[in-house]
Parts: sequence; C-alpha cells; structure tokens
Amino acid sequence: MAGQEGRETEIKQSEYKLEIKNVSFDYVDKKSKFEALSGIDLNVKQGEFICILGSSGCGKSTLLSLLSGLNKPKSGEILVDGKKIKGPGVDRAVVFQHYSLFPWLTVKGNVLFGIKQSGRKLGRKERSELAERYVESVGLSSAKDRYPSQLSGGMKQRVAVARALALESDILLLDEPFGAIDPRLRLELQELVSKLCTEHQKTVVFITHDVDEAILLADRIVVMEPGKIRSIHKVKFDHPRIREELSGTEEYEKLHRQLILAFYDRVGEQIDAGVAL
Amino acid sequence: MKKFFKLDKGTYLEFGIATLLMIVNIVLTQVFPYFTKHKVYYDSAAYDVVLVIAWVLITLKLFLGKKKSTVDLGIVIFGFFLLWEVSYKLGWLHNDLLIPSPEGLFHVYVEKSAEITKDVWGSITLLFWGFLLAAVFGTLLGLLAGWIPRIREVLLPISNAITLIPPLMFSAYMIMILTTFRQAAIAVIFFAVFWPTFQGMVQRVGQIDPQITQAARTMGVGTMGMLWKVIFPYCLPGIIGSISKSLRGAFMCLAGAEMLGINLGIGYFTDKYKAFADYRCVLAGIVTVGVLTTVIDMAVNKARTALIKWE
Repeated sequence: MAGQEGRETEIKQSEYKLEIKNVSFDYVDKKSKFEALSGIDLNVKQGEFICILGSSGCGKSTLLSLLSGLNKPKSGEILVDGKKIKGPGVDRAVVFQHYSLFPWLTVKGNVLFGIKQSGRKLGRKERSELAERYVESVGLSSAKDRYPSQLSGGMKQRVAVARALALESDILLLDEPFGAIDPRLRLELQELVSKLCTEHQKTVVFITHDVDEAILLADRIVVMEPGKIRSIHKVKFDHPRIREELSGTEEYEKLHRQLILAFYDRVGEQIDAGVAL
Repeated sequence: MKKFFKLDKGTYLEFGIATLLMIVNIVLTQVFPYFTKHKVYYDSAAYDVVLVIAWVLITLKLFLGKKKSTVDLGIVIFGFFLLWEVSYKLGWLHNDLLIPSPEGLFHVYVEKSAEITKDVWGSITLLFWGFLLAAVFGTLLGLLAGWIPRIREVLLPISNAITLIPPLMFSAYMIMILTTFRQAAIAVIFFAVFWPTFQGMVQRVGQIDPQITQAARTMGVGTMGMLWKVIFPYCLPGIIGSISKSLRGAFMCLAGAEMLGINLGIGYFTDKYKAFADYRCVLAGIVTVGVLTTVIDMAVNKARTALIKWE
C-alpha cells in the first residue's frame, strides 16, 4: 500500500482535501468480529474525482460511511482540510444508493432542506430561487412541486444529487448512487454528475462496482479487495468524456483490461479464473 | 351535468328501489299513524326529516363519489327502517316500553332538544380538552423517548404497567380526589389517551427508516432538528391515523365516566333515562354517541387528506 501511495508523496500534505490515514474498522456483534477495513491509506486532492471500485463485501461502502462520519474508525484517522473529522458534517455531502429523500417534502422542499442545513444566511426569496436553480440544474424544473412518491428512481436520484449540491460542501461522497437505476438512465446521470462536479469543483469520492462507470467519471480509480486497497489507476482522458467515443480506443481498452484484472483477480481465485475473465 | 348522471342501469334500478323504500316509509308514517290502537303515537316529523336527510346524503355520495356500493348501503338502511316501521305498526314488537317506534325514537330530539344539545356540547368540550392535552403530551414525550434510549428505558416499563389498568377504574377515584366533575372527566380521558399515544409514538419512532435519519445526519441535522424537522413529519401520517382510534377509546371512557357519576354529557343523559326506565331516550342517547363518533371520524379523515399530501 505504502508503495502505491508513494507516487503521491511529492505533493505537500496541506494540498490534500481529504486524507485517510491508516484507517481500520471492525463490525462487531456478540459472537464474532469481522474486520471490514484494515490500514487504509488514501489522499485526495482538492477537485479530484476518485472512484472506489470493488465487488460487494470488499468494504467500500464501509469506507464511505467512515468518510461521511456515520461510523467512526476503530483506529487511524480521517482528515478534511487537515482537521480530523468527528462525525457527520455539512462539509461532506452524501448521496446514497437508496435516495433517502424526505417523503413529506416536495422536490423543491428537499433541496431547500439542504440549503437551510448549509447554514448560509439567505432570505426566504433568495433561498427559494436558489433551490429552483439547483432543481433546474438536474433537469427537474417541471417536477419541482411533486413528492418523492410520485417520482421514478432516476428522478429521485437527481433530487438527491441536487440536495447534496445544495449543501454547498466542497466534498461529495456518493455510495453506488446509480446501482438501482436502469442502464440507459444511468449513463445520463453519470454524465450529469460528471458535469456538475466539474462545474462546482467538488472533491468527489464515488463508490461503484461498475468498471465502465469508474472510467467515465474518475481522475483516479482505487480498486479494493476485501479490507484493503489493491491498486490505484490514473485515468487521463479529457473531460467531458463521451462513452461512445472512448470505448474502442486502445487506451480505453488497456485501462479497462487492467481494471478487470485487478477487480476480478481475487474473485477469480475463489471461483474459477476462467469464468471471471 | 351529463357527467353527474353517468351511472349504469343496474345502479339506477337499485337507487330507485332505495328511494321507493324511503317514500313508502314516509307515506306509512303519514297515512297510517294509528294502525293498531294500543300503540303510542309520536309526531313523525323528526323521523321523516332523518329519512330525507339520509336519502339526500346517499344520493350525493352516489352521484359525486360514483361508488356503486353506496346504493347498496341505501337499500340496507331504508330497508331496515321500513322493516322496523312496519313491524311496529303491525304490532309485531310487543313491548312498547323497551322497543319504541322509529318515530318515537327520533321525536326525542324534538322533545329534549335543549337537554341533548347541552349534553352533546358538554361531552365534546370534555373530550376536546382531555384529548388535546393527552395527544400533545403523549406525542411529545413519545417523540423524545422514541429517539433517546435513556428516556425510553425509564418510561416504557412504567407505561407498560399503567396501560394494563383499565382507565375507567381510575374514574371513581378521580371523582373523589378532583374538585369538579369536569376535571375528573378530563383526567379520565387524559389517562385513557396519554399512555397509548405515548406508546404508539415510541413505536413509530422506533420503526423510522434508518436511511432517512442517516441522510439527515449527514446533512448536519442535530438532535432537536432531527426530532422536529425529520422524525415528527415522518411520523405525522401515523399520528393522525391513530387519532380516530384513540378518540374512539376516549369517547368510550368518557361515556363510561359520565355514567359512573359525572353529571354532564351524553353518557350522563343515557344513564339518567335508564334510571327513569325511559328506554326511548336511552336509545336516543346511544344513537347520538354513534352519530357523534362518526362525524368526528369523518372530520379526522378530512383533516388527514388535507394535511398529508405526500402519500
């Protein structure tokens, strides 16, 4: 692990937005203890888009829950702007796979909730206008007065993204946000998130198990194996990335192959190398 | 207007039957008031008005709501009244004292209108205060206890023990220790509603979707914000949904408490005429309670649809 991180050490410590230092986490119940993460080290630069790629059970969602502050690491620490995090906070917005919109609020109401939580001093009218701008930015203006129960999964996730953006935090954490969305819509949402994160200069940690999604979005892809980081891959394609143009190019295929190898290696050993590849 | 009358033939036929039943009933009250000699005669105006009102309500519901089952309900209601009317007029019901004619029953509302109004109003005010206090405090305490384990672990065992005692058992004691009947009645309702409301609220908070509270936590929502801005609105449909149930419980306790010695309210009215062996009035009291609870229930449902737009 240290060797892989070594490449990044030429950058000074203070330039990192997010630092994960030797973080471990156990799930403990009465009978057993399960080590979900052990000794994770990762530094993320301001404005960087990181995808964490791994199969289910590798601890990637656990890592995100530690970053969001919902869980506390057993050992090690997580720093934002050089300061240790103590719990959830508005400096880190989270988008979950399960949308978790507030059912009693409209689309606009959910976004307004985010604006209010962000602590900005705004008048009623300014808040309302700002909320409408965020709703518009995710393409839901016509549905702004609808309740979540009246929306499709894709629309709900757009609202969740708008609500997260409304918090105006520098860091955006996304936990398999498009896992439950059908493939065609997923591509639209990936492009939307990529565009919005660039526009708002967010530092992003994006959890996924989809190799193509990771290549389309990330500046760096962190491949995880259970409890640990297996490898880190830089993605050098220019933004905006168009899936149709990228796929088929030699560089894309090369990276894709590398990632597939890294991603499936451990799983392949367990099942059958032939099947996995 | 065309849309208003759009119902199928079968429904129209049934509606005709219901209307016919009602008309025959009214004709019977008017044309044959003295069918058998030994029966008691009461002015039929109140009963006729009730029949007409019932018909108007059913007609409106049928044509506005477009629900065919409404007309079945109409047939059952008017059929029942006609059967009662005919049985009485033909002398099949032997005991005039215990089973009055429908005219006799509804005439009570004319004879004793002032008394009934006073008692109904009395019951409603008692119910209002007792219920309001219990619902507000029960919900607040339940919200706190539901979210904060330390409070819950103290209060839940206590409430579990207390809710097992029938609230009516308190009432005799309440009448003794509290200075007025009003206070006693309000206290009985309070105890009948408070603990179930509290327990229901603790349960609802416990069942809240953790994904919602997690999302709120990641947005920096603190304990107070969580209680007021997240958990309370999340539980609101459940809270309102439980209102009609606990109102019914409250009403039962109130009627019981009134019968046990509080000299006000519709329960007291019923109990008083039972002592006079005037079962016509007793029956009228029972019918009043039925109508009152139904009206309250309907009002609560209306409030729910007006308030809860998101479900």
